[in-house]
Amino acid sequence: MMQWVAFLFFASLTLLSALGVVFLSNIIYVILSLLSTLVMVAGIFFVAGAELVGALQLLIYTVAIAVFYVLVLTAVPWEKALKKDSHYRIEGVLTFPILLAFYLEIILVFLIGVSVSPKGQIREFIQNLGNTQVVGSILFSKYFFAFELVSLVLLVGMIGAVLIGRKEDKTYEDSTS
Amino acid sequence: MKTVPLEAYLILSLLLFGLGVFGMIVRRNLVAILMSTELALNAVNIAFVGADSHLGLVDGQIFALFIIALAAVEAAVGLGIIVAIFRLRKVESSDELTDMGG
Repeated sequence: MMQWVAFLFFASLTLLSALGVVFLSNIIYVILSLLSTLVMVAGIFFVAGAELVGALQLLIYTVAIAVFYVLVLTAVPWEKALKKDSHYRIEGVLTFPILLAFYLEIILVFLIGVSVSPKGQIREFIQNLGNTQVVGSILFSKYFFAFELVSLVLLVGMIGAVLIGRKEDKTYEDSTS
Repeated sequence: MKTVPLEAYLILSLLLFGLGVFGMIVRRNLVAILMSTELALNAVNIAFVGADSHLGLVDGQIFALFIIALAAVEAAVGLGIIVAIFRLRKVESSDELTDMGG
């Protein structure tokens, strides 16, 4: 019962702040809504019993990635960021039926998947150990190669971000005019 | 004690992913488009973790960790591209990027 109350609280606040991310026009309010969404998603992870993922969501998403966004907003001038018509209204209405068909497909896949999924046989093994312990032991045995690949991708992304973000000698206007 | 069923996590994940995709289509600001992408990635994480708590496994949580790491890479590279676009062209709205328009 308590778990349901917590889940409904976090889920409703997640959806409310996600609506804010999509529909608000002031970019500062949008980034605050995104922050709220990320914190509430971390709460849902805690409800589901995934303590390590919830803590990393708080550490990486709501601290590191949100700071990235704030940093980029400071690079954009204020009057441009507060521009009024911030949505493609006609295009949004036109693509809405396609989006509904897409929703329907996901619902079908989910229903089929739920109807064939097994019902928690391995739960007993995990309840003897802590969540973090189990995640660590499986991450460093079964998924070790994927873990190393992710670290390689992080390195490549870091080099790419440095290369893209460095200062150029000439701008676009110099090369066209 | 009754636990939260898998369907509740999947419905939440579905709604959040749909909002993310709708935001990617509708938003005009490049930074807001990237934020909508983050919504969609979080929806996938919720589906993984909810399926984990239903099945009693931890593999989905490991994939959620990978997705968080890749989201960090995506945010760094994407925001670097936005800053580069802004520095070279002085625009930050997707309808002003008309280089490939006829």
